[in-house]
Amino acid sequence: MSTLKISNLNKTYPNGVIALDDVTIEIENGMFGLLGPNGAGKSSLMRTLATLQEADSGTAFLDDLNILQQPVELREVLGYLPQEFGVYPRITASQLLDHMAILKGITKSSERKEIVKYLLDKVNLYDKRNKSVKGFSGGMKQRVGIAQALIGNPQLIIVDEPTAGLDPGERNRFYNLLADVGKEVIVILSTHIVDDVRELCTQMAIMNLGKIVYQGAPQNAIDELQGKVYQRIVSREELQDYASEYSIISNKMVSGQPLIHIFSDTDPSNGFEPVKPNLEDVFFSKINTSNVLV
Amino acid sequence: MVYIFLGIISLLVFFAVISDNVSIGGSVGNVMRNAPHIITIYTTVLTVFGLLIATAFYNNAALRDHNNNFNEILFSTPLSKPGYFFGRFLGALLMATVPMLGVFIGVFIGTFLAPIFGWIDAERYGPFFLETFINNYFLFILPNMFIAGSIIYALANRFKSTVISFVGAMIFIVGYIVSGTLLSDIDNETIAALTDPFGVRAYSVYSKYFTPAERNMLSPGFDGLLLWNRLLWIGVGLIFLLLSYFTFSFREKNKKVKAGNIEEFKDNNTFKLPVLNTAFGRATEWLQFKSFFKINFLSIIKSVTFKILFAFSAIILIANLAGGYEYFGLQSYPVTYKIIDTVSGASGIFIVIILVFFSGELIWRDRDNKINEVVDATPHTSFVSLIAKALSLVTVTTILYFFFIICGVLYQLGNGFTAIDLSVYIKDFFMNDFVVYLTWSGLMILVQVLVNNKYIGYFVSILLIFVWDIGLLIADIQSNMLSIGGGPSTSYSDMNGFGPGLTGSLWFNGYWMLFGIISLLIAGALSNRGMGNSLAKRFKIAKKQIPNSYKVVLAATVIIFSALAGYVYYNTQVLNPYRTGDELEELSAEYEKKYKKYENATHPKITDAKYFVDIFPNKRDVYAKTELQLVNKSTEAIDSLHFNIDRDWNPKFKIPNATLSFEDKELGYLIYTLKDAMQPGDTMQVEIKTEYITKGFKNNRGNTNIVKNGTFLNNFEILPSMGYSEGREISGKNDRKKYDLPPKKRMPALEANCSDNCMANYLTNGTSDYINIESIVSTSSDQIAVAPGSLIKKWEKDGRNYFNYKLDTPSQHFYSFISAKFEVAKREWNGVDIEVYYDRQHGVNVENMIDAVERSLIYYSENFGPYMHKQCRIIEFPRYASFAQAFPGTMPYSEAIGFIINLEDETENNVVDAVIAHEMAHQWWAHQVVGANMQGGTLLSESFSEYSSLMTMKSISKTPMKMREFLKYDHERYLRGRSGELEKELPIYKVENQQYIHYGKGSVILYALQDYIGEDSVNIAMKSFLEEFRYKAPPYPTSLDFIRHLEPRVPDSLNYLIKDWIKEITLYDNRLKEASFKKLDNGKYEVSMSIEAYKMKADSLGNENKTAIDDWIDIGVFADSDEKELIYEKRVRIDQEKMDFTFQVDSLPVKAAIDPRRILVDRVYKDNVRVLQEK
Repeated sequence: MSTLKISNLNKTYPNGVIALDDVTIEIENGMFGLLGPNGAGKSSLMRTLATLQEADSGTAFLDDLNILQQPVELREVLGYLPQEFGVYPRITASQLLDHMAILKGITKSSERKEIVKYLLDKVNLYDKRNKSVKGFSGGMKQRVGIAQALIGNPQLIIVDEPTAGLDPGERNRFYNLLADVGKEVIVILSTHIVDDVRELCTQMAIMNLGKIVYQGAPQNAIDELQGKVYQRIVSREELQDYASEYSIISNKMVSGQPLIHIFSDTDPSNGFEPVKPNLEDVFFSKINTSNVLV
Repeated sequence: MVYIFLGIISLLVFFAVISDNVSIGGSVGNVMRNAPHIITIYTTVLTVFGLLIATAFYNNAALRDHNNNFNEILFSTPLSKPGYFFGRFLGALLMATVPMLGVFIGVFIGTFLAPIFGWIDAERYGPFFLETFINNYFLFILPNMFIAGSIIYALANRFKSTVISFVGAMIFIVGYIVSGTLLSDIDNETIAALTDPFGVRAYSVYSKYFTPAERNMLSPGFDGLLLWNRLLWIGVGLIFLLLSYFTFSFREKNKKVKAGNIEEFKDNNTFKLPVLNTAFGRATEWLQFKSFFKINFLSIIKSVTFKILFAFSAIILIANLAGGYEYFGLQSYPVTYKIIDTVSGASGIFIVIILVFFSGELIWRDRDNKINEVVDATPHTSFVSLIAKALSLVTVTTILYFFFIICGVLYQLGNGFTAIDLSVYIKDFFMNDFVVYLTWSGLMILVQVLVNNKYIGYFVSILLIFVWDIGLLIADIQSNMLSIGGGPSTSYSDMNGFGPGLTGSLWFNGYWMLFGIISLLIAGALSNRGMGNSLAKRFKIAKKQIPNSYKVVLAATVIIFSALAGYVYYNTQVLNPYRTGDELEELSAEYEKKYKKYENATHPKITDAKYFVDIFPNKRDVYAKTELQLVNKSTEAIDSLHFNIDRDWNPKFKIPNATLSFEDKELGYLIYTLKDAMQPGDTMQVEIKTEYITKGFKNNRGNTNIVKNGTFLNNFEILPSMGYSEGREISGKNDRKKYDLPPKKRMPALEANCSDNCMANYLTNGTSDYINIESIVSTSSDQIAVAPGSLIKKWEKDGRNYFNYKLDTPSQHFYSFISAKFEVAKREWNGVDIEVYYDRQHGVNVENMIDAVERSLIYYSENFGPYMHKQCRIIEFPRYASFAQAFPGTMPYSEAIGFIINLEDETENNVVDAVIAHEMAHQWWAHQVVGANMQGGTLLSESFSEYSSLMTMKSISKTPMKMREFLKYDHERYLRGRSGELEKELPIYKVENQQYIHYGKGSVILYALQDYIGEDSVNIAMKSFLEEFRYKAPPYPTSLDFIRHLEPRVPDSLNYLIKDWIKEITLYDNRLKEASFKKLDNGKYEVSMSIEAYKMKADSLGNENKTAIDDWIDIGVFADSDEKELIYEKRVRIDQEKMDFTFQVDSLPVKAAIDPRRILVDRVYKDNVRVLQEK
């Protein structure tokens, strides 16, 4: 059982953007979801944990290993898939994975062969193993990326927006794979897709503007909202009025009409009906604290 | 962007106009700094660079909409195709010519400002001619941008790839380079002029005989080869443009869909997750290194850019090899060092491009491909990745180089040359190329890491390559320790291997290799891992993260490097200090200012010299002792002796009854005061000991005259010279001004019946006349030492060979010492020993050489008088210089020019023979009679020898046309030489040691003279002149003395020749305007010719004025188009500028010509010959 302890991590970019604002999280084995809108600081946090970026202050420990001070040691137990994953031109999938396996310290060539085959099979690219990666579609490249992140014996797996570009079938395969390995190690999964977290993660955090605005089990968060979320379909013209009158969590179009969710401790009536809150409501209620139309 | 380029070009030209240190396409010389010719050179050369600008513009014009994905929007609008296509093109064309206008701006501003600020005198600037600018714009700027543009635009439209567009640009560069190669052989001039897409070569052919005056006046015109070149290439451009237009379409091509991208679900295999053992240590790092290396290496050799660069350099290599090694119409054997030079030449610039381009490419590859975060987050050390990158670069360039070597070797074998020593290739590679690749790879990777921006990185790399050395030059720093990858040159000689630079080169190599490794180590520590960090930040991170072992390695490397640097510094600066160019110039100025006052001091003359020279080839040391007998041949008493000292030779004097009264160590000037003045006629014995000790190694190659095999010294090196030495003065007009020195005195003016001013000859300059010389030379036991004179005695002592040589007849004090491992070939001719001392690898031409010597001996002794020595030696010396030189009875001959020329198919005259004949002739002309140190002096030695040489050639020529082949080089030498004249051209009888006059014109004029007045007449004139002055005590003869002997031999009808050809500068412009023939009933052919003939007199600046013609000139007819068979020739009197001639010939005429054997000096000979039209 390992623990990743992040304490008071801060990072401000030279242009003044605050990427990490006193971030403190503790993560144990299993899948950990990191939710947040674009620009919330998810990637900054993950890069910091992946030793690719320095923090201004704060600490991060994987058990006894000081991530910020011992990057070399951390890299030996890290699996990382960044948000943007490209490939070398003129090199095949197996060659690329073999190269990555070497970089990750698998010195025996037989072992490398095995793991490369195994992973390629797992990401459903075994038949394409001798094709140039450059010609792969976005989804296929992403799968190569996933495969490389799992090479070796990673204790900490960080995957940043892994399912972007994958079709639903592939997404499922990927989650199964991740869930397989995630039982014994820490997997941090960043995403802005709420469903991903709901389906996979036992623990989660929501980030916004560099801050952790929620941390805990997804179900707990949903429970907190129980009985406080209402919805109704409004006309487009009325939307503004509702926005000023109620604490809107979200609005989305249903059959061409805005469907708004609002947060209210009491029943607002006025055509609103209570709904069973879902993780999406949690997400929006946590990040949309000023209750503006999004 | 346009304005930036405009600014850059303006600045470049501006500096070239106002400063002597900056030159574009060669130095300006004594032409006006803003002369039309100079402006044209700037324009043409800069359009080559402008090509890259144009490529960017055109590529952008063609691809902008495409790259911004705007094309789909734009092309769906009702836009007309011609409007779009040509609109874009013309826009880019106009834009591309704008930066080139910077040439004009730079010239204008420079010309205006330089005199005002006193940078350069106003007199160095002439008027502007509107024509220059207009013609340059329409001849070069606009057409070049059009031609380049049309092809690049076509490529860009077709391939939509920036890389391919730049490839298109490279084709031009290759064309330019190949045409340059062609130009080196004068027979290929026309092809060269036409194949250069920029017209630069066409212009150089067009203007090659321009005299300084013409360079100041004439703008390039729309005529001749220049026009043809322009029309040809504009046509090519048009074709490309139209082809492109007709294939251009707004519609997108159907994108190919790769079948492989459709997914197949086939999952029959099952795999198990293996148990993985990860390990991190040295072994892993080695494995990681190999993996990185493989990936980087493949990425380079598979890249399109590499393949293109490879193809281009291969094309250049093959073109160069195919051209062979031409040497005055002959081919040199493809000896290994020549192949090495060719390979280096063909690969050099491309390897630099590969190093620059791929250093950036490899460093940025991960980031460009967005795989950097993944790779950076893996447990490898940055250094492993970097060193893999550096080594993959080095490996790729090495492979490229070896591929070329293989091509070279195949070429050698293909030519039947089998004396190939592969180890020379390999050694040369490691000595001269490998280190450079390694150093630059390390450095450029460091640059990319530090700068952290690919394109700025490229920029800095290019600055380092091209500007750094210029910077050093401007700062007057010559140390190779600062010139990246620099070191002593080690050009290979068959005789002497890698030569005196070898040791130094090896040490410098170590120094630079460590420099490259340190660069890499620093780059490894500071490389950007993860998110981009500022350099300061990376320093901090490095401090924290770099393991101690890394620091130890870095520190150790730096320590070794410093130690090495210290050792190199000690050798190159302390042990062997040198003076930089500027320092030497300053010293020369100071020398002149301080000691010019002694210029006319009287000195005794040397009458006897005995040399004791001990050569130690392996240590490269020489010890010499010289006993001189001095006689006061003047009419006044001499109270002191002045010497110029060469520090390297450390002379020690033993002068009886004399004291050292003045010593200037810095400038090397000594004065010994004699206790009792030498009275006229007094004699004195002096002993001078000198020694040259080689210590360590030097910054540059070091002394190439004292080497392990092939030492070649002369008396001027061994002995300190006596009296003020005018040769040390600064000669450049403008350099002299810089030091406030008065204009340099020209050679003494020619004087009739001179006595006092003719007491010194131009060879020994008054220090001696004809003297007795004896020498005892020793060398190592495996070498032979040779000096002029008969070998009196030879013995061995203490494991060394001793030789005692003595001249049989008093000679010029012009004496050589040579020592090497020699083979000797001998033949006797009338009691004269003909001997060739040659390297054992170079025996192939020895028999030919002996033949040539014998032929010269026969012709000269028959026509001029007896040969005065008992032996006649040709002695090979290493290729550090390429000349042959005539010492008394002894001719050192460079390995580079005669011994390796292929003479297998040469039955008639050839240049190897010609050089020998020339040097042999010096045994008469220079050694038996020599001119006074006065204008016209070299006519009597160099022109006479060149003429004599031609006559031996002629004596074995089977056809009269063969000599034309030979004379063309002399015509070329003269006409080209006069166009590069820096001071003033003089008539031949007043030649001031100007080579193009005494060799080029001298041989042409004297050869023509014997053709007009008869070989015997000229020879008799020369012989009687020789007889009057042979070995005669001063006063020495002048050219007027020769004319005195010549005049009686010239018939009255041809008296004008002496005036026109010898006493004035006369050129002919003969043209055959029309030529036709018709067959007559009697079976003969009637030939009609219309000729034009003009005669011009030129002044010293090359201004030519027509003068009335009344000359005898040949007309003739050839029976073949190769102009080999001259079936009719007649010398006719031409007294009008336009004349017609009709005559009959017996067999079918093909070509007609005026002056068919090219006897006269005619700047354009081509228009003298025409194919006959049948009427």
